[in-house]
Amino acid sequence: MTGQSPLLDVRNLQIELITAHGVVRAVDGVSFTVGHGETVTLIGESGSGKSTTAMGILRLLPEGLAVLSGSVRIAGRDVVADPAAARGVRGRTVSLIPQDPMTALSPVHTIGRQLGGAIRLRRPGLSRAQAREKGTELLAQVRISKPETHWKTYPHQLSGGMLQRVLIAIALAAEPELLVADEPTSALDATVQASVLDLLMELQERTGIGMLMITHDLGVARLVSDRIHVMKDGRFVESGPADRIVERPAEPYTRALLAAVPRLGAWDEGEPAVREAASSPARPPGEEPR
Amino acid sequence: MPTYLLRRVGQSLLAIFLTLTTVFLLVRLAPGDPAAAYAAPTASSAELDRIRAQFGLDEPLINQYGIFLRDLFTGNLGTSYSFHAPAFDVVMDRMPYTITLAVAAITVTTVVAVPLGVWMARRADTKRELGANVLTITGQSMPDFWTGVMLLTLFAVLLPVLPASGFTTWSGLVLPTVTVAVLQLALVSRLVRREMVTALAAPYTTIARSRGVSERALTWSYGLRNSAVPLVTALGTRFAALLNGVVVVEVVFGWPGVGSLVVRALATRDYPLIQATVLVTATLAILVQLLVDLAYPLLDPRVRLGKAA
Repeated sequence: MTGQSPLLDVRNLQIELITAHGVVRAVDGVSFTVGHGETVTLIGESGSGKSTTAMGILRLLPEGLAVLSGSVRIAGRDVVADPAAARGVRGRTVSLIPQDPMTALSPVHTIGRQLGGAIRLRRPGLSRAQAREKGTELLAQVRISKPETHWKTYPHQLSGGMLQRVLIAIALAAEPELLVADEPTSALDATVQASVLDLLMELQERTGIGMLMITHDLGVARLVSDRIHVMKDGRFVESGPADRIVERPAEPYTRALLAAVPRLGAWDEGEPAVREAASSPARPPGEEPR
Repeated sequence: MPTYLLRRVGQSLLAIFLTLTTVFLLVRLAPGDPAAAYAAPTASSAELDRIRAQFGLDEPLINQYGIFLRDLFTGNLGTSYSFHAPAFDVVMDRMPYTITLAVAAITVTTVVAVPLGVWMARRADTKRELGANVLTITGQSMPDFWTGVMLLTLFAVLLPVLPASGFTTWSGLVLPTVTVAVLQLALVSRLVRREMVTALAAPYTTIARSRGVSERALTWSYGLRNSAVPLVTALGTRFAALLNGVVVVEVVFGWPGVGSLVVRALATRDYPLIQATVLVTATLAILVQLLVDLAYPLLDPRVRLGKAA
């Protein structure tokens, strides 16, 4: 704790999940911080505990089925010790961008109702019309063309990429300091992935928001992160600056992750990633990204 | 949409027609003789033949059916053998009672079962929910004739606060309504609980929670709203069934509804009355079903009427 305290300060976080097969320690004592304007990435395979960490930080794991210990301070408030603090920071200090945009919005409510609701939660003084005005502005910010025509549409009428933009707009409605992005591109088409990542980076540059990114894709991690924590079986096996982790991975596990990642090319602009793309073998069968 | 409506109305008319034809044949195939039921026990066979001729039952089946259809299209459902009155009028005299009981029972069911189901879903798999589970399963397992007689004994005999029989004052509605509702309650509350548990565990609920939506709004706006289609389907089906009369409850409480009428019509082999009852109740049931179907697109924007899913 030197100088200004970080936006997100996770210390020795443990999460135990109560499952049908007994108690599983999904997260086993991880510590990390995210500062203002910083992007920190947790990377690992499915089941490594990275998404559980993200959901645990927001206390969105099912009550009674997940036991948290350690401390998670969001803007100074410990949400592990005090569930009310978690309710206090959600939709204000911190927002979540979910993994699968297709299931993340209520299918029976319009886009406008859900976005407008998020805006009015943050700014209870706004009228419906004012919320709508602000909402269309946010939709324009996430590069949805003709935003006013989408206000009355339902989620099933939009594509996955559009929905993820809507969800980013909803996350921004909270005017958060910290954005938790839980595999924000893994359910999207390859071409759409690039544009959504682009959008996130641009937003971060503009607003100086802190971001916790969860991904299994080292290419994504390399592109957006300041720091990377490589996670396996609930622990960090390797941590460090993004460049160092990608270029000189110390752990065999990190190297395996690197080898497994398919390259997209669209956003890597002749960076070292391209070199790896050329030298890395074709995607092994069964390593389809989720 | 108008094409859909037209097609559905056409289907409904066909369904009613086929039901009527089936009933027409079945009652005549079933053992029993309207003339024997109508005449005095000592009636001679000549007398029975005379009665059969009077009812038109001496004609070949195909001719009877022809006459039935001709009369049907002129709006004549025949004269009830036992009531000596137009069969349709006899049924319509009973319908207000049946509709009153059905509306009361479905209202009580909805008002109690929805909050109860939501309450159980919010506490899914806890000890307190277990208590509610025991109650609803008990309610579901109690036969209505038993529930009816128990309520009657308790509230009309031992503690005479409510009338035991008939419908002369509104208080007479209470016991039959409760008896019917107890059974429906168990079914509907468990359905609400199941649908709500699914909706509350859905990603959109978690994501809404992540943006600070209150638990109250999550429950009622997100959870219940997303459970609306199966709930309305169940309530509509239950309501349509209640409109066909609740025979046992009507008999226990001397309720002058269609259910007890149909029992009497069957016992006396009163063919026109049976056919008229079937026509009226089938039409109502099909109408309710149609209204439920028309409500689907309002409840779930993904549903488009007349399109395959």
